[in-house]
This record gives sequence, C-alpha cells and structure tokens, in this order.
Amino acid sequence: MNRTVLICDDAIFMRTMVGDILQQAGFEIIGEAETGVQAVEKYRQLRPDLVTMDIVMPDMGGIDAVREITKGDPTARILMCSAMGQQALVVEAIQAGAKDFVVKPFQPSRVLEAVNRVLAA
Amino acid sequence: MDQAKYAELFRTEAREHLAELDATLLTFEQDGDSARVPEYVASLFRNTHTIKGMAAAMGYRGAERMAHALETLLDGARRGPLHARDALLELLFDGTDALRLCVDDAVAGRGESLPPVLIPLLQRVSAFSHATDDQSDSAPDAPHHDDARHAHATVSAGVPETSLEAERSGRAESAAALVERTVAVRLTADCPLKGVRAMLVMARLESMGSISAVVPAQTTWQDDRFDGAFTVHVHTASEAEAIEQAVRGAGDVARVVVAAPAPRSARDASSEALRTVRVDRRRLDTLLELVGELVINRDRLLPLAEEADTSAGRLLSRAAHDTARLISALQDEVLQARMVPVGHVFDRFPRLVRDIARDLGKDVQFVTEGREIELDRSLLDAIADPLVHLLRNALDHGIEDPSVRRTAGKSPSGQLVLRAVRDRSTVILQVEDDGRGIDRAAILRRAKRQGLVAESVMELDDDALLHVLAAAGFSTARAVTAISGRGVGVDVVTTRVRALGGTLELETIEGQGTVFTLRLPVTLAITRALLVRVSDATYALPAAHVVEVLEYTPGMIVTAAARESITLRDEVIPLLHLRERFGLPRRPDDSYVAVVESGGRRTALAVDALLAQQDIVVKPFDAVRGSAPWFSGATVLGDGTPALIVDLGSLT
Repeated sequence: MNRTVLICDDAIFMRTMVGDILQQAGFEIIGEAETGVQAVEKYRQLRPDLVTMDIVMPDMGGIDAVREITKGDPTARILMCSAMGQQALVVEAIQAGAKDFVVKPFQPSRVLEAVNRVLAA
Repeated sequence: MDQAKYAELFRTEAREHLAELDATLLTFEQDGDSARVPEYVASLFRNTHTIKGMAAAMGYRGAERMAHALETLLDGARRGPLHARDALLELLFDGTDALRLCVDDAVAGRGESLPPVLIPLLQRVSAFSHATDDQSDSAPDAPHHDDARHAHATVSAGVPETSLEAERSGRAESAAALVERTVAVRLTADCPLKGVRAMLVMARLESMGSISAVVPAQTTWQDDRFDGAFTVHVHTASEAEAIEQAVRGAGDVARVVVAAPAPRSARDASSEALRTVRVDRRRLDTLLELVGELVINRDRLLPLAEEADTSAGRLLSRAAHDTARLISALQDEVLQARMVPVGHVFDRFPRLVRDIARDLGKDVQFVTEGREIELDRSLLDAIADPLVHLLRNALDHGIEDPSVRRTAGKSPSGQLVLRAVRDRSTVILQVEDDGRGIDRAAILRRAKRQGLVAESVMELDDDALLHVLAAAGFSTARAVTAISGRGVGVDVVTTRVRALGGTLELETIEGQGTVFTLRLPVTLAITRALLVRVSDATYALPAAHVVEVLEYTPGMIVTAAARESITLRDEVIPLLHLRERFGLPRRPDDSYVAVVESGGRRTALAVDALLAQQDIVVKPFDAVRGSAPWFSGATVLGDGTPALIVDLGSLT
C-alpha cells in the first residue's frame, strides 16, 4: 500500500511542486491544507503517514500547527519546508515536534531523502 | 565520639553536597530536555542520601529527618515517570535551603530536633511524595518502560555507583557496558541550515545515552559562523557502528568518527581524591606571613653577605645565596598553594542570580566564563561581596523587565555575564549586562546638584561617570530597594577593590548595557615593587605597573591647558609630581620619572630618587578615615623603615 501524505502550504504552486515530487516517487497525496488551522483539522480526519508543513502560513503558522498536531498524536511525522534564512524558525519547529526539514528551492532528491528519513525513524 | 571535632568537618562536607544539590537543581530547571532527568534525579538522590548518612552518624536527628524526607521524594521520582516537574523542583529548592539550615543549626548545637519553622515544609514534602506514589501505583508499567532512552540514562555517570544504581533499578544492565565515547561529526559542505541539522544529530545521540560535553557549545550552532563540525562526548552502552548509523541517519552527515576512549575506572576516581588534602586556611595565612618575613630577611642577608671579605665570609656568602634561592622557591610554592580557581566563588552565584531575578520578575541568562582562572584565596574571599553587589545592580537597575525589553526590540531574556581573564600578573573580572545602560544625563544632573561636578560640564564620559558613582553616598535610585540597599553601591565596591590593590573601570552604552571591570593583582601578599624616594620618605610603586624609568630633564616637558606632560618617543604622557600630590615639602628638583600604566592609561610620576627594585611583603593598611586614598597598603623594608605602597589607580 502506498504511503500517504498531507501537504500544507499557502501557495498553490508549492503544493503542486511538492505533490509532483512525491507522487512520482510513489506516494499518495491524500490531502492539502492552506492554513495552520486546516492542517490540524485535516490531520485529524485523514491521519496521513507523513505531513509536509510550510513554516509561514496565515491563520495559525506552521510551528503552532506542528505543536497542535503533535499534541494530538505524538507519533506524527512532520517535515518542515522552509526558505533559506529562517534557521531560528526551523529550530523552533523541531522543538515543537517536527522531525526533519528541507529548504526551498526544493531539490527532488533532497526532498525524497528527507521524507524517507522521517518515515524510517 | 568527639562531637566538636567532627562538627566542622561535617559542616564542610555537608556544604559541598548542598552546593552540588544547588548546581544540579539549576541545571535540571533550565534543561527542557526530558532525556537527562533520570541523571539529575540520580545525582540529587545520591547527594541527599549522603547528607542523611552523615547526619545520622553525627546524631543530628533534625537534619537526618529532613534529608530522609527529601530522599524519599527523590526515590519516588527515580522509580517512575516525572510528575509535576515544576512543583517538584520548587520543593527541592526549598528542601535544599532547609537542609542547609538544619546543618547550621546542628553544628551550633541544636541538632536533636528539626527547627520548628521547617515543619510545614516537611509536611509538604511528605504530601508530595504520597501523591506521586499514588500516581505511580496506578501506572504499573511505568518503571518497566521499554524506552531505550530511559534505560541508558538511568545508569549514572561514575562507575563505582553505577553497579549499585543498576541493581537498585532492577535492570539487567551491566555496569561496565557504559562507556564514554567521543563522536566527531562533520556535516556536508552544502548542507543547508547546518545548526538545525546538527540539532537533529544531537537528538539522536541524546536518545542513545547521556551527553557530557559538546564542542563547540551548542549555543554557537545557530550562528552564521558555525561550519557544521562538532564533537559530542556521550556516555552510552551502544556500539560504535550503532552510533555511526544513528548519526548518519540524521541526514547530511559527511563524516562521523566514533572514538572509544578507555572506560573510567574506579581506581582513577579514588586516586584523584587522594591527590588533594584539606588544609585549614589559617594555616595557609600563617605560612604566607612566615614566608613574607623570610623574604624580608633574605633581602637583608644578601647585601650583608656580599660585604664579607674573609674566606669564612665567602663561605657565608655562598650559603646565603643558596638560602635566598630556596626562600624564593618556597615563596612560589606557598603562593601557589594559596591559589584557588575563581569558580569556587563563582559557583555560588547562579543560585543567587536565579533567586534575585525571580524576585524582581526579570528573565535572565547568567553565564560565567573563566571559572578555572586562579586567584589568591584571601583576595578571592574579599572580592566575593563586591561581585555580589555588582550582580545585584545589574539585575536591579541594569536588566529591564521582559516587556520593556521586547518593546525595545531586545530578546525578553537579559544576558548577565561574569567573566574572569588572566592578563600577566593581573586577573580581570567583569560583570557585563545587556540592559538599559547607565543614564548619564540623570547622573550628571544629580552630580551637579550635589556639587560633585561643575555646572559647566556638559557630559560625563565613562571615567567621570565612575568617579561620580563612586563618590560616597551618591545614589540616584528612585527607591532604595531591598535588593540593592542604598542605590548603586559602587562606592563600596570601589573602596574594597582599591584596598586589595586593584582598579575598577566602567563602560556603559545607553540602551545596550554596562560592563564593570575589576583588575586585581594575582596575589596579595608579596609583590615586586620599585622603591622610590619622594622628599624624605620612601614609597613603593607596584613593579608590574611600571613601564619605564627615565631621568627627568626639563626638555621633556610639554605644557597644555595648564597641565604638564612629557613626551616619550611619540607618546604624550601626563606628568604628576608625587611630591605635590602627596603634599610634601619642596626639595631640590625631581630627578627621575617613572612611567606607570594602570587601567589602560599611562602616567609619568616625578620622584626624587630611585632606590631599588625588590620584593615587598604587603601589609594591610587601615587608612585613617577621610585621608587621601592614594595608598593601598604598607610594607616594612629590610632595614626596618616603613614604606607606603602607592595605589596607582587613585592617582590618575
């Protein structure tokens, strides 16, 4: 059975890009979220194997969403997607429960490596 | 059993364990990571248990009772998962203070029963223990967690105890399996956000054992300069391959090397203990005094020995020289024996700073640097209070409330640094805060009102500012707070520092922070001096501060704005006639100039004659109240004449 992924990012093209990379590698995209609030809700509904989460989103940011999701499910596997120069925020995200991170602009190989690491842990 | 004889010994040892408790509690409190909790609890348990045993041996029932209550509390925390962490910590902090009180009471002769004032605390401790017992009972699986992390961390550092701990917790861990490994990691060059990646590596290592050291410090990892290379020392039972695999699993790791150092043997630990010996500090003081007298006599003996002309005299001369050499060596040894790392005093401060910061509602990160720098023990004892003064000031007046800091765009948590640095024969101690700085305008206004500064002065530079603050009785504190007492207290600090032969400097930037810098001689008692004659009397200038000595010629004088200076090569140095400064009668012209450096500034001192450069024994100096502050001590020369030691900082 394919691994399922929930993609959270407020930009459509980012969601599409990540989605394409993951789909081509055999993952199933079972949901997308545009805001932190949506991310938390969809996680509860869908229980994906993996979540990709943008750091900055309207209506509850990525870090708070990570915190909420992890509170409800400590085994949640969340991969942070960040732009360069947001080191402090990524640190916060990891401390809030995210398992790993990738940096934009995405390199497909790096994204897949990170995803596999998160799923393996 | 002779109670009196052992009482002091009991108190000294108990104090050490209490200090350990404080230190561990502070680390525990600040460490947000739950992986190390079992290690902390184990250390707290050990120390409390030891104090209990000692108290029981001495028949100090009060202390024994309190220690036992705390031990039970900690035992509960050891056996199950941690409940109500904050409440537990508060209780332990209070409990440690209570134990300290019990110990002091016991040594003072009231050891039979618990001080009544502590009964409520004892009840709280018992109540907490029972509450957590209930919770542990309802989770029968708790102690038998399958979590590998829990298993490793329970076995404490220090092999002798390890086997006992392992037995007590009923695990099948073998004591010898725990080994300290050095893990050197280098991240790939193109790894983005190296600091974060390093964090992920750390998280994996933390789950395999307990971390004892990280180089470079983790606080530097989020800097731009962090290059992705770091080394972690970890106590773990895992094999090198497992560690390597775990580290690589974090991603972006270019290289990982796991070194397997020899396991710490019980023998090392105990032979370390045998290498030191406790000495009553009064003995050290007496030793130093005796050596001081020996030094003076050596200086009398040598010139006399030189004069001997006969063959017997020459033999005497040789014997005198040999003796002189031995005395010098003895002097060095005794001075070394008196040296103590400043950490001994610094270690008291984190707890103090924490308590004061809490009382004031301030959020403060307290850092100490240079704990290993050594200072003469009586100097160190004397400087402790001034340091506390300065730390209190920084907390009370320097560092702002978190909300004020946030408004100013600063991090809500203030930084307070206590630093020790060695610079030739001086030790530099600094108290630095990143608070609001000193309000120069306000000080200036007040100084003018108090007549300390002329109306025409428009601004106070750092030196002038310090001068004003150090003036007796000066204070601008709007309210005399319970914390700092009378306002700034800088006058007290200055007096004490001067009395020790040191200097105090101030640097402050409004809105950014303040640094107080104390410069102290490394050793108090014997120092090298340049003896000079001014008018009819002999004075001693600390040789370490004498940069150069010249003959005085009128041609070297330069006058500007009614102040005299000399030119020395390309430098213009202010000139001071010591005779005038000391108010001594005029004699024929000055013949020599000694250029001295103090507090980063140079001054040329005009004197009548240069006498000798030699070691002198510094005798404490009780200056007459209200007299001039130019002398930091006195000495008696070989021929019995007294000489005053000049405090260079006060002249300029």
